[in-house]
Amino acid sequence: MLQFRYDPATNPLNNNEWSFPLFECIHIAMFAMSVGTIAIVDFRLLGLLFRKQSPAEVLKATSLWTLIGLIVVITSGMVIFTTDPLSYYYNWSFRYKMIALVAAIVFNYTIHRKVAMSNCTAAVNAAVGAVSLLLWISIVFAGIFYAFVEELPYVGGPPV
Amino acid sequence: MSAVHQFSLAVQNTAYFTALRESALAYPIILASHLATIAVFGGLILMTDLRLLGLAMTKIPASQVIARTRPFKHAGLLIMVTLGIHLGGSKLADYYDNPYFLMKMSLLLLVFVHAMVFRRSVYRNPAAVDAPGGPPRAAKAAACLSLALWIGILSCGRWIAYYDRPEGQQARANQIARQR
Repeated sequence: MLQFRYDPATNPLNNNEWSFPLFECIHIAMFAMSVGTIAIVDFRLLGLLFRKQSPAEVLKATSLWTLIGLIVVITSGMVIFTTDPLSYYYNWSFRYKMIALVAAIVFNYTIHRKVAMSNCTAAVNAAVGAVSLLLWISIVFAGIFYAFVEELPYVGGPPV
Repeated sequence: MSAVHQFSLAVQNTAYFTALRESALAYPIILASHLATIAVFGGLILMTDLRLLGLAMTKIPASQVIARTRPFKHAGLLIMVTLGIHLGGSKLADYYDNPYFLMKMSLLLLVFVHAMVFRRSVYRNPAAVDAPGGPPRAAKAAACLSLALWIGILSCGRWIAYYDRPEGQQARANQIARQR
């Protein structure tokens, strides 16, 4: 079995006062960009915003910024994860976040995109917009909740 | 004990803010909602700024981007400030002399100044922002300042949690809090 030793105490982010919060700020700014631009499309699908434009036009106008935001938010998230991987892994809120994140990205680039690009009924648009909005909000919630939930028991004992 | 400290302590010790601070569920829910509001409504500010800079949504007239997103931004700001008052109020004695908190409040004030300053020339001036040559220089300045202000507010907000009051002051504050 592949094993390697990693001591988070050696991580530069754990050895100065500014880099961890800096990555958190980047993470927050970039989820504002990625989720925020997806939310604009969701608002359009819900019939609330940019009603003179089609959902397809709104999607095309925002998709580049969504992609850039997603890439940076995930990268900065991985950097933050390295500061204490075990405590994140043994946290049910983190596990939910990872599963929901994969689901949200798949949903965004399949059903969400397909519906926004085609002329669906208002009901279908609204349902897809609502699911997308709730899914992404739940991911932000899970990110805050790691700090407030108890760690899961280490399965098979903590690695030494 | 300074009057500001006394006031901050009185605010956070009200029954409402005490219950909120000590709640295992309400506090994280409000904090998460504050962040979710950034996620859902922050994109509107960002896209408006990028539109004025001619970098995004260029097929939609800038005046439309401004006018259509306005009620959403107002709603988002209202939700955000309401949640923020809950977060700040419940820990005001810890925050009132926190330099990042003070910086964040000052920047929020500047957001209103910004809105007033550029109101006539940019935000309520569809003819200018839809000019064939693209939004005027004032609009671009407004967009850059808006980006800088909001990135500053977001960063100060995060950094509030990382400030430790100098030791003596902290010990004294704790003592005062215990005596209450």
